[in-house]
Amino acid sequence: MKSVVITAGLCLVFFFVWERVDIVRLGYHIERLKAQKVLLERERDQLQVKFSALTAPERIAKVATDKLGMVPPQQGQVLIVHPQQAPPPSLEQVRIARTISTAKGER
Amino acid sequence: MGPSRGRRYSLLALMLAGFGIILFRLVTLQVLQAAELTARADRQHQKSVTLEGARGTVIDRHGKVLAMNVEVPSIFGVPTSLDNPANAARFLSPVLHIRREEIEKKLRQEKHFVWLARKIEPEQGHRLEQLSIDGIGMVMEGRRFYPKGPLLAHVLGFVGMDGIGLEGLERRYETQLHGEKRMTILQRDALGRTVFPKGLREQVPAAGHALTLTIDEVIQYIAEKELEQAVDHSRAKSGTIIVLEPQSGAILAMAVSPRFDPNAVAALTADRWRNRALTDTYEPGSTMKVVVAAAALEERVMMPGSMLFGENGRMTVASTTIHDHEKLGWMTFAEMIQKSSNIGAAKTGMLLGESRLYRYLQAFGFGQRTDVDLPGEVAGLLKSPREWGRRSLASISMGQEVGVTPLQMVSAVAAIANDGVLMKPYVVSGMRDQKGQLVKETLPHVKRRVVSPVTARTLTTILEGVVTSGTGTKAAIPGFRVAGKTGTAQKVDPRTGAYSSALSVGSFVGFVPADSPRLAMIVVIDEPQGEAWGGVVAAPVFRRVGEQVLTYLGVSRDDQVKIAMVAPQ
Repeated sequence: MKSVVITAGLCLVFFFVWERVDIVRLGYHIERLKAQKVLLERERDQLQVKFSALTAPERIAKVATDKLGMVPPQQGQVLIVHPQQAPPPSLEQVRIARTISTAKGER
Repeated sequence: MGPSRGRRYSLLALMLAGFGIILFRLVTLQVLQAAELTARADRQHQKSVTLEGARGTVIDRHGKVLAMNVEVPSIFGVPTSLDNPANAARFLSPVLHIRREEIEKKLRQEKHFVWLARKIEPEQGHRLEQLSIDGIGMVMEGRRFYPKGPLLAHVLGFVGMDGIGLEGLERRYETQLHGEKRMTILQRDALGRTVFPKGLREQVPAAGHALTLTIDEVIQYIAEKELEQAVDHSRAKSGTIIVLEPQSGAILAMAVSPRFDPNAVAALTADRWRNRALTDTYEPGSTMKVVVAAAALEERVMMPGSMLFGENGRMTVASTTIHDHEKLGWMTFAEMIQKSSNIGAAKTGMLLGESRLYRYLQAFGFGQRTDVDLPGEVAGLLKSPREWGRRSLASISMGQEVGVTPLQMVSAVAAIANDGVLMKPYVVSGMRDQKGQLVKETLPHVKRRVVSPVTARTLTTILEGVVTSGTGTKAAIPGFRVAGKTGTAQKVDPRTGAYSSALSVGSFVGFVPADSPRLAMIVVIDEPQGEAWGGVVAAPVFRRVGEQVLTYLGVSRDDQVKIAMVAPQ
């Protein structure tokens, strides 16, 4: 009985020590990950600024004209097409459509 | 008492003395010096740091980043722990691009800390890390970046070295943009590493709010590009373009020339970064006739077909002569606006009378701030009729004796485009917290109705005539109906106090398409050299900007072929 109590006591002590050590170990791990997160966030921000600078309209226009030899569209060269909403089908159109689908179904 | 007993007592006394010393030391450490030692331990184990949330980002209406913070290295030296300052300066100089003597001078000071270079490029930081010089350290600080360079600089403004907004939106929204500051205590071990502080539950200080602007970076670019070209071409002192949505008052572009780069403002003066669109007033000249005409039509003092006599180009008012740029005889009210007759405008103003004209000028927003959400706006100059002279009624009707900002003028004309309703102009449409949640949204704000929809439409037709057959033909955009008005105003020569024949302001203000306005725009060219007529220096800029912006926005031309998507039959 006595030895069981001693063993259990020792186990408790070991468990307590192990728990404390593990908390400290995880603490360091968390800190390392946090530092890594900060570095990654910093890199992300730097890349975002770079992306934003590279996509500036002024730069794109410069590259398009100077490097690629493009020119702004001249008058009348741009046609904007707005698809208009089709009118609702007439009863006759619905009837024809039904006939076609029925004919397809029969085949 | 034998010798052994004596030894026992001696041993006991020795032990008691030993324990006594230990007890004494214990009491000294644990009780008497407890407070001081606890404090010393805390100083060694704990590190207090001030954490600051990142400054909020500024984006345009499509989410394009216009200003954001990035952590960059700042370099400091600890002169007291440097053995060879000259050697350190020799290594640092090529990396920091600072003269060697300058660095060495700083490192020879009897100080524990000196800044060597703040907020440098990350690449420079990497190079310094590789050099690893004793006594030279690096900390990360937030630096404001404006990735688009000079684009929108006058609106964005800039921040100082300490990260506080000094101009533009950065200043106006300082409270909302700056991140939360919080002091945190970290536990550290013998090696100085942070040990599991209140780490898991530690609250990171909140970042500042992000601002979403009404500005469209492409429209802004088009406006800036065309304005720069126009200012260069006319060798003008400066220029301004404002583009806004008439129905909401949302500003799509605000371009000011000369431009500046907010990433490098140290060498510039306030004159360069002043937002002239709302800080500078000018005598509008003939563009003011839009307001006079609106008042006359609304008050039924004039109809588009009412006849006016142009006095053959000369008319005497209060012992002074008013001139027209051409000899005009009888003309309709509409022709008077289209030909921009000063005499006709003066006569219309006289028919309206002082109080009515003043009331309409106030209603259209002159003499008061538009309350746009940008700093530095001025109210302009509009004297009360009590202060008017004998010529004032005529002068004000043709845009003299009154000081306006370009923003006031474009807002007033936008009210005509908006069926007679004056809107409050604004630049920030929304504010979001760091999680992306909308904190504040700006909705279009109606200031007041200034004229009836009928008057607005009648005036629009008259203003279309200015572009089709009047002084503003160079503003015509093929395929679109443009309504607008030219303005040319002489400036007062500061040396003589009289109107100068050489200094003038040429402008054009209008909207397009006239029947369903998408844009209201003003172009102001200050002190152009050579021909200075608004119809010559400003109207073509209106056309070029309008044409490109309408194409960009996908607005169909009136003569555009429309393709209907019709279901096959």
